[in-house]
Amino acid sequence: MGAINCDGRTIREINSEIKRLVADGEKNIVVKNTAARHNLGVAIVKPVKLRFEGSVGYYCAGMIDGPTVEVTGSAGWGLAESMLNGTVIVRGSAGNAAAATIRGGTVVIHGDAAARLAVALKGGLVLVGGNCGYMAGFMAQKGTLIVCGDVGAAFGDSMYEAVCFVGGKIGELGNDAVIEKPTEQEEAFLRDTLKSHMPKKTVLKFKKVVAGRKLWNFSKQERAVWKEAL
Amino acid sequence: MCGIAGYFDKTGNDSAAIGAVVLKMLEALGARGPDSAGVALYGGRAKGEMVLRIKVGENGSVAKNATRLVAEARKLGKVSKSATTAEYLRLALKYQGDPKELERRLESVAAGVEIVSMGRRLEIVKQVGSPQNLDATYGIAKLTGTHGIGHTRLCTESKVDLSHSQPFWAHGCPDLAVVHNGHITNYHKLRRLYEQRGHKFYTENDSEVIGMYLADQMARGLNFRQALEASLKDLDGSFSYLAADGEHFGFAKDVFAFKPLLFTETDKFVAVATEEVALHAGLTGDYHVREAQAGEVRVWER
Repeated sequence: MGAINCDGRTIREINSEIKRLVADGEKNIVVKNTAARHNLGVAIVKPVKLRFEGSVGYYCAGMIDGPTVEVTGSAGWGLAESMLNGTVIVRGSAGNAAAATIRGGTVVIHGDAAARLAVALKGGLVLVGGNCGYMAGFMAQKGTLIVCGDVGAAFGDSMYEAVCFVGGKIGELGNDAVIEKPTEQEEAFLRDTLKSHMPKKTVLKFKKVVAGRKLWNFSKQERAVWKEAL
Repeated sequence: MCGIAGYFDKTGNDSAAIGAVVLKMLEALGARGPDSAGVALYGGRAKGEMVLRIKVGENGSVAKNATRLVAEARKLGKVSKSATTAEYLRLALKYQGDPKELERRLESVAAGVEIVSMGRRLEIVKQVGSPQNLDATYGIAKLTGTHGIGHTRLCTESKVDLSHSQPFWAHGCPDLAVVHNGHITNYHKLRRLYEQRGHKFYTENDSEVIGMYLADQMARGLNFRQALEASLKDLDGSFSYLAADGEHFGFAKDVFAFKPLLFTETDKFVAVATEEVALHAGLTGDYHVREAQAGEVRVWER
């Protein structure tokens, strides 16, 4: 196991050390005394295990492809932004724009997420154990967003083919977002997902939120819809 | 950018090490704003006593102006303490009259004199430069009290000097102070409105208007919490700000969540900061951190 102590080191030195260990074939890396510093563990493209003991700042695990990253504390803005593949697990809460524009992989936040969660989602799975703020799933194109608790206003605004599930209350649906009943297969998927990532969590019923497809094609007859959305 | 931080002791201890905690948090946020640093600290004071921190004026006139200010203050109340450090005169006097009158009388002593803070519990110290320099000059790490807020500034639109630094005291309203990260886009409109009502602005800094707004709302009958809540509608632009007076400590975040602000609350304290690095620098023990949501207002009362 490779261990790195952040004390007295610059972010560049810490990230270079992580990359050196990865290049040397180390499969298990523990980073200590993270003290909520920014840009930790970005652009890791090998399937290694990376564990941050403590909280991390902005853009942790951004642009990664393949690793399993665990944060034992909380995370700042832009967690796992633009990741291609891999798993990011945060035991605490996450700041704004967590899992924004991810293309694949899984992001699990055990606490709460703030505003703009999973905006422009392009694939993958985002799972939040607590609540999330407003504008989650804005313009999400593909992938799945699951929030076990309550979600804020403008939820699922202007989405394409992403699918969202909400266990709690919806503050307000965004433009063109509609509630559907989950299929039996989806309910089984939700049960399995919770069981594997948050075994202690039980959510009795999820609401499914998808695009109503009113904004997908422009039609003069639907001017009112567009006026509202824009 | 800019960094803001605040700490509120919940145990009822009025000599908590707030100066040291806020200073450590500001040092951690220093990279967000190297232009200036400042703190507003709330401590216990002798009954009926008003403490003023006064910017005495430009170089050369400091000693002369300080003497004249003390002489003027003696006409208004019993001065129990007066001391000059760097650009400041600190005055403590027994005064029960109209705070606006006290301010007007003292500021008319000489050009360049500005009351930086006035209050029964509040004291503001701010200057150009880093938090470390602020402590080296004024020894803020030794100051104690119940709660405090602080600011490190990255200047974007107005000049860099002591007056334009934060926290801002809400002139005319003892003890009310604000630190702000963001940009108030309807500042000029609000400023014109308040100037028509006779309020004086001391800077070109948009953040100055927040304290004035809160003071105005409270003068109209809103309580501290209601004033912060009303600001979500009346202030445009991006803001996360902390506000405090002798009894209250709170924050508000704009409805779009443009600016970061996170907080933690335990049985013993509340701490709020722009970035979690500040909490790690200032606090010990276990605490759970959460980012404030869009349009969230929280207030704690002593």
